[in-house]
Amino acid sequence: MLKRLPLNRAQIQSLVREMPAERRTALETASQSLRRYPLRTALTLLGLAFGVAALMATIALGRGAQGAIRDQVRAAGLNVIEITAGNYRTRGERPIGGVEAPARHGAALPPGALERLLRKIEPVALAHPENDPMEKHDHPTAAERLGDSAAGLGAAATLTSDDAEAISSVPGVAHVASGIHESVRVFAGDRRWFTRLHGTDVDLVEIRRSFAMQHGRFFSSGELRRSSQVVVLGSVARDQLFGQDEDPVGREVTIWNQTFEVVGVVVSTNWMNPGAPGDDEFDAVYTPFTTVHQLLNVTNLNSITVTAASSGRVTEVSRAITDLLRERHGIGETQADDFTVTTQASEVLGKGLHPKVAETLAGNIPNLERTTLAQLASTLERSSRTMSALLLAIALVSLIVGAIGISNVMLLSVRERIREIGLRMAVGAQTGDVGSQFLTESVLLGAAGGVLGVVIGAVAAVVVESSFGLAVEVSVVAGLISFVVALLTGVIAGVSPARRAARLDPIVALGSE
Amino acid sequence: MAAIEVRDLVKTYVLSETHRVEALRGLTLSVNKGEFLSVLGPSGSGKSTLMHILGCLDQPTSGEYRLMGRDVARLGNDERARIRNEEIGFVFQSFHLLARASALENVELPMLYGATRPGREERRQKAAEALEAVRLSDRATHAPSQLSGGQQQRVAIARALANRPGLLLADEPTGNLDTRTGREILDTFARLNSERGLTVIMITHDRQVAQYASRSVELRDGRILTDEAISGNGATPSA
Repeated sequence: MLKRLPLNRAQIQSLVREMPAERRTALETASQSLRRYPLRTALTLLGLAFGVAALMATIALGRGAQGAIRDQVRAAGLNVIEITAGNYRTRGERPIGGVEAPARHGAALPPGALERLLRKIEPVALAHPENDPMEKHDHPTAAERLGDSAAGLGAAATLTSDDAEAISSVPGVAHVASGIHESVRVFAGDRRWFTRLHGTDVDLVEIRRSFAMQHGRFFSSGELRRSSQVVVLGSVARDQLFGQDEDPVGREVTIWNQTFEVVGVVVSTNWMNPGAPGDDEFDAVYTPFTTVHQLLNVTNLNSITVTAASSGRVTEVSRAITDLLRERHGIGETQADDFTVTTQASEVLGKGLHPKVAETLAGNIPNLERTTLAQLASTLERSSRTMSALLLAIALVSLIVGAIGISNVMLLSVRERIREIGLRMAVGAQTGDVGSQFLTESVLLGAAGGVLGVVIGAVAAVVVESSFGLAVEVSVVAGLISFVVALLTGVIAGVSPARRAARLDPIVALGSE
Repeated sequence: MAAIEVRDLVKTYVLSETHRVEALRGLTLSVNKGEFLSVLGPSGSGKSTLMHILGCLDQPTSGEYRLMGRDVARLGNDERARIRNEEIGFVFQSFHLLARASALENVELPMLYGATRPGREERRQKAAEALEAVRLSDRATHAPSQLSGGQQQRVAIARALANRPGLLLADEPTGNLDTRTGREILDTFARLNSERGLTVIMITHDRQVAQYASRSVELRDGRILTDEAISGNGATPSA
């Protein structure tokens, strides 16, 4: 069928000739009528075309966003291995042979609080300043977003900077960044902002590919060695403390009653993840982890972030790290790890699957490390889904408007052409002839509007891509879907006018004025 | 042979439970092939109702109707549409031409429907022939608005002839025309009647117009009042 799409006039005519006579009549009379009222036809067609174009552009943008997420996740995360202290289940996982969380009663407890209690997290976690009920938050806490373990609230003091040192000599490891995470109040003049502090390594800039220095620089290895009180602000923290797009380099902030010098500001290069309050990456401040150790008088790390030299070696490297840490921590054969190694592999594997299926799948592949590093992926996906839903709503509204337009015009045209219908009946048109003429008119409008809409939509998508820098994926499938929707719109909109026309009494129709 | 045989034709319109109108009250009429009949009567005499039933646009309440020997009184909508398409050509008082179609396209219209449905080229050729028969070949591509009233009515006649029906039904065909143009139209009927042996039934309220036929029937209150041959006019009815 598709192979034989009529391309020239002669072919169309021969196709029309081969049709059954009734359908040929309907097609001829319908197309004649449409041609005899060009303005009406054009306006109706345009109404539908814009609806279809919106649909087409939505699909293209949605698919483009999906593709962008796929690429970004691949680029940003696949070779990242995250080692966190402690060994906790992440949120939503069922304890094996354990207790199920009972159904929630009312709203007495904040969401997730009960589960957290049931999972017997150390009291340390609950006493954390982020969970201080007197503290007012205008954004979700790190624990709520990330789960306690990932937020570093497990606080099991099982990782050290010596572990990090040892990991850096594992073959296949490219970068290692120690991490110690705290929630802090940062003061700058009379402004204050409650945010995340990441004590980290100079290598973090290499690991976080979406980082770019808007002002200044990241702290240096010398400052790391000297435990200097320097700080790099995330763009969101900077906005809150110094104002939008200010350059605070050289100015001072106060954390834990200590003065820190601002040496740089990091912004996101990832348009899908531009940095938002509470996002843990740009609503955050970065200091050397040695400084945190010195000021808090601790030696442990909450996490160690590692990148493998290539994403193909992630499994191998993470296994080597697991073995190394078990050995260093003196963990026996039958004992559980006191740390958690996570990679993106399992996350990617389970993408788009039902959680249960993904869980089973991941569980059945040996050595596939347990879940997460979902921050980036889920943030991206959430924002693109919101955008897609919005666009889809717009597309649907315009389609409905288009359909109402066709229906309206067809009903009007039946009323306007009552005498013509009467005459056609008088000269021998049967009810079926009249009905299919009007239905065919509507379907032709739908088809033409569909073609026009697909073209407009594709052009619009490309224009949006080039002028706004949004990722767009114009596909044949999207075109086909949009066209079919337009065609169906034509059919549905045409049914009622066609019935009305076919049911006319020729005598009444002929006599009407 | 009879083109039309009507016996005891009754048509009653039920307007409400208490109000009914008897438009035809037992009308009997026979029209031979090749006759040119005029049906005369004031408004309300039932002549329009008779025209609708003879034209298979409506069904009688009771009575018989044979058209070209075929019983058509009880046919359904689609069968009547087919009869109209093949056997009957209509000419209306207000022409009923498609305003945005050319004269030729208007004449083609009946050929779009019915059993045969010829292709585009054949349709065009037959339509041209029909226009030729009403002497309008030079106006084939004109829109109705570019034609005079008389020319428009001749396009309508050509359309009525397109499928070569045996019966031409004209409802007040000169009602919208001045006397001179009306005479042209009537002459056209007379010529088609005599040259082609076409049966013509013309409904009118105008006694002078009725005189153009070879036979005139006068209706009053749904019945035939008089039925007389008009001498010296038109073709002799073939018995």
